[in-house]
Amino acid sequence: MNFVSKNKIRIVTAAALFDGHDAAINIMRRILQSKGAEIIHLGHNRSVHEIVECAIEEDVHGIAITSYQGGHVEFFKYMKDLLNENDCGHIKIFGGGGGTILPGEIKELHNYGITRIYSPDDGRQMGLEGMIEDVINKCSETFLFPEVEVFETPASDSFALGENRDIKKVARAITLTENGKNITGYINNLKENSPKILMHKCPVLGITGTGGAGKSSVTDEIVRRFLNAYTDKTIAVISVDPSKKKTGGALLGDRIRMNSISSPRAYMRSLATRESDKALSKYVREAIEICKAAGYDFIIVESAGVGQSDASILEYVDISMYVMTPEYGAPSQLEKINMLDYADVICINKFDKTGALDALHDVRKQYKRSHGLWNTKDEELPIARTIAAQFNDAGINELFERLMEKIAEKTSVQFNGEIEHQAHVKNTVSQSTIIPPKRVRYLAEIAETITAYNTWTDEQAAIATKLYQLDGVIKMMNEEK
Amino acid sequence: MQINELKKKYDQLKKQLHPDAKKLMEQWAAILKQYESDFFEFDVRGKKIKQELTYQSLSGTKISKVYLPKYKDWGDILKWQLQENVPGEFPFTAGVFPLKREGEDPTRMFAGEGGPERTNRRFHYVSLGQPAKRLSTAFDSVTLYGEDPAHRPDIYGKVGNSGVSIATVDDAKKLYSGFDLCDAKTSVSMTINGPAPMLLAFFMNAAIDQQCEKYIIENNLREEVNKLIESKYEIEKLPKYISEDGNAIHHTLLQKIASTSNNANDVTNVVESENSLSGGGGAGYLPEGNDGLGLRLLGLSGEDVLPKEVYEKIKAHALATVRGTVQADILKEDQAQNTCIFSTEFALKLMGDVQEYFIENKVQNFYSVSISGYHIAEAGANPITQLAFTLANGFTYVEYYLSRGMNIDDFAPNLSFFFSNGMDPEYSVIGRVARKIWAKTMKYKYRANSRSQKLKYHIQTSGRSLHAQEIDFNDIRTTLQALYAIYDNCNSLHTNAYDEAITTPTEESVRRAMAIQLIINRELGTAKNENPNQGAFLIEELTDLVEAAVLAEFERLSERGGVLGAMERMYQRNKIQEESLYYETQKHTGDYPIVGVNTFLNKNGSPTILPTEVIRSTSKEKEFQIKSVTLFQERHQQKTAMMLKRLQDVVVANGNLFTELMETVKYCSLGQITHTLYSVGGEYRRNM
Repeated sequence: MNFVSKNKIRIVTAAALFDGHDAAINIMRRILQSKGAEIIHLGHNRSVHEIVECAIEEDVHGIAITSYQGGHVEFFKYMKDLLNENDCGHIKIFGGGGGTILPGEIKELHNYGITRIYSPDDGRQMGLEGMIEDVINKCSETFLFPEVEVFETPASDSFALGENRDIKKVARAITLTENGKNITGYINNLKENSPKILMHKCPVLGITGTGGAGKSSVTDEIVRRFLNAYTDKTIAVISVDPSKKKTGGALLGDRIRMNSISSPRAYMRSLATRESDKALSKYVREAIEICKAAGYDFIIVESAGVGQSDASILEYVDISMYVMTPEYGAPSQLEKINMLDYADVICINKFDKTGALDALHDVRKQYKRSHGLWNTKDEELPIARTIAAQFNDAGINELFERLMEKIAEKTSVQFNGEIEHQAHVKNTVSQSTIIPPKRVRYLAEIAETITAYNTWTDEQAAIATKLYQLDGVIKMMNEEK
Repeated sequence: MQINELKKKYDQLKKQLHPDAKKLMEQWAAILKQYESDFFEFDVRGKKIKQELTYQSLSGTKISKVYLPKYKDWGDILKWQLQENVPGEFPFTAGVFPLKREGEDPTRMFAGEGGPERTNRRFHYVSLGQPAKRLSTAFDSVTLYGEDPAHRPDIYGKVGNSGVSIATVDDAKKLYSGFDLCDAKTSVSMTINGPAPMLLAFFMNAAIDQQCEKYIIENNLREEVNKLIESKYEIEKLPKYISEDGNAIHHTLLQKIASTSNNANDVTNVVESENSLSGGGGAGYLPEGNDGLGLRLLGLSGEDVLPKEVYEKIKAHALATVRGTVQADILKEDQAQNTCIFSTEFALKLMGDVQEYFIENKVQNFYSVSISGYHIAEAGANPITQLAFTLANGFTYVEYYLSRGMNIDDFAPNLSFFFSNGMDPEYSVIGRVARKIWAKTMKYKYRANSRSQKLKYHIQTSGRSLHAQEIDFNDIRTTLQALYAIYDNCNSLHTNAYDEAITTPTEESVRRAMAIQLIINRELGTAKNENPNQGAFLIEELTDLVEAAVLAEFERLSERGGVLGAMERMYQRNKIQEESLYYETQKHTGDYPIVGVNTFLNKNGSPTILPTEVIRSTSKEKEFQIKSVTLFQERHQQKTAMMLKRLQDVVVANGNLFTELMETVKYCSLGQITHTLYSVGGEYRRNM
């Protein structure tokens, strides 16, 4: 039975390595999404390895790349080779680069097995929509599900791309469950092939928060610290983004923010909610189970930010964190946030924003109120102040320590390793150094300065004109005398 | 009214005049007189310059370089002085210097392809016989993203394409060899942003070592130094310059000929080759115009062969005289061009470190940043947005440097600007408005001195306005844009080649592009005058409108928390995209006419022209670059780890990274440094 066309088409989009031209791929990904595809967008300057790793982990049908900086022949062939080497030859490759890819090179790439390189002439003949439909049609021919589940058993040190866990099988199992398939066979197989040093319990951290709070940046920073602190441990990240009700498509945008995920010890999977009003996919539980079976040591689930009342993530995780910014409006707004009552840790990110200290005060008050912690010292509350955009932020370091403590406390799991801290470049509590907050109006001040000068100029000129006229009259009167 | 009452009124009114205004009014008669003379004298940093003020046409008409208004009303004159003024006087609307520099066209010589040797040959080819060497360097994308050339296929394919591959200080020495980087007539610009501090450190070391070479020769120390080198190093292992025929130029032999070959064409320049790198057995030679300066200490630093105090003295002198520009504008990268490699905050810190180093070491002839609107315009912004975003970025650097405790007059002269000129009407006043806004702000907001008030900028004609259909028409567009730029008194100009829309320009198309500027500057009679825009009603009106529009954009940016706050919300990016889409739609519907593209098509419908051949780097060049960087790393491997650790320690201690980079680059390659900095400064996080 070929039910592929009924399933969601998933596509990775990116611009080639050392290539910052992202205008075209940004247009393409929007149209792909509007045609109902789930898009994992990686943005510009991505290496073949990063793209292929993403394609395998995300179990996509196709990869769509723009390349305007030359070197496209080597780039696309290498991508094909790397997919083939990892037994993922079924993933289709699409590309375009305007006039930079010559007709002869297009032919050469097609012969090599690249599914389709679109030339400017194709663009004119097929139109933008036509090209996108062609991509989707070709992707829907990809047959992801074998009739009989075949589990070739690789030695544990030869997983795809040299990863520490069997990312291919993990990815496929998640796809199957997302499409309503039974995955018992996969789970058992994953368990059998898992490293023997499996821990008794694999803690699951849930991260939720409002859109724009910087959840993915915070997540990325936590992953980086985990990988640095525990050099023999592995981590899986399951990230959920909303599907569009109208088109069924989704933009799975968390991966583009993740700089630390391209490690052999890290797996990441982006899920669409497939129901637009939910913060989580129906298959999060299964996805967690699969990652556990594969032997990951730590799992992070990041939910789509919808509404203040949403606390659905709590069902699936051992500990939870709520990420917010100082910009939530009046303190009464805090009373509506359910997660402030439930989260184990609260992270006030973008702490360099104005009003951060007021926010800290308000959140502490609200936290004490909802937890009845009237006598707890402010510093002991699990409220972290962070600037995730700042490298090696002291606040994130502290947050990471708190999270590890909470995990130990609630799940009694202690990852063995030294939390090694590099000296903090800056303290979060100190203000952002680029533009001091009191200087933040500089552009308005400049506009005022210039407007004032122009007004003054007109005034002075008006006086000078009057003087000129008086001078003329006086001279005239003197002459008449 | 009695005459006495009138006189009283006159005196009262006069008291309301600001002393500055009064002074300007009093000076007017003298200024008129000054410009009636045949010669004009002025001061440039203590140097007296005397230039002719007139030009005579074939018909015998005397054309003055500067014409002044014939207004009678004192108010009109005063307003003109306050808002326009003569070139070289606040607010510098018509230009920052009284007169253009004589004997130096603002033409830049552009190159960047393959390895350093090929680009060096090209530089010498395009600058041969020109009195001023104004070299513009394009780097390949591997370099632009701070990596070393490598065999990994996704890197390999890009090595030496659309720019030169530079991974080490030795590459930089070869690249600029034969050009005296500290000569007043040489100026180098480097189009590099993310890894700009490293490339700048390569460049500065190359400049210093050139001066060391000169010192060695001038003081007859060659024999001594040669002996020292031979005792300390394995000569075969030192890097070599490979000539066009693939043969290497031998290190020590080159030193020996140095004393006799002041003449570039000297036959003794052809020397025995050394074939360990090239595999060939012939004779290596230098391109015409390259006297070998910069190659004699290839693989070493002047510090390895000269006493420390001598080296430090030469270094100080080199830094104080070297002339050029590094783009290094990280804000526009995040807003438009995407070659950021480090986290924005860290990238800004690096820029601040470079500027601080420039102040401490009196690097006064080098622009530490070229604040660029070009890429914002190329990404689709209209001219007003280009100007507003770019100036706002400039003021952001100013605020950041001030917050680090630098003095405005110590760094403002190190800032330069770079704009695009397209076809829109606003481009005719982009320089005027930029100069005016900058000068007023510097004087009244930051209380900066006159030198800091002078905004200097480079123009490149718009690449986006060139089309792949009827490519012959592109030169016409470029000509008109160049005319805008020259009438607007730009300080430096690059004219695009007509075939740039479809391929890498050829020697023929580049020559035509240069001819465009030369024809305007040397043949076009009205361009002999240097303030043709002043007094034109259209220009004056546009100037006011564009200035007001830019200020309105400043307000919008300010409401979003300034440039950085707006960036966080992707305000600039979205605005640029919207404007780009608007242009594309207008172009598509034909509402915006483009001749040979959507109107006035030829019999065949003006089809898109495909390039017949594309210039790409050869695999031999790529292999050579990879081998060079590998050998460099091997030569220095004992020191690499220690130097990289030192660099990391400087970050942790919040010290000046550029001071350290000046040392790091002697032993580490670009990629090694970039990766080390990632681990302590953070990688750029992409946004959507």
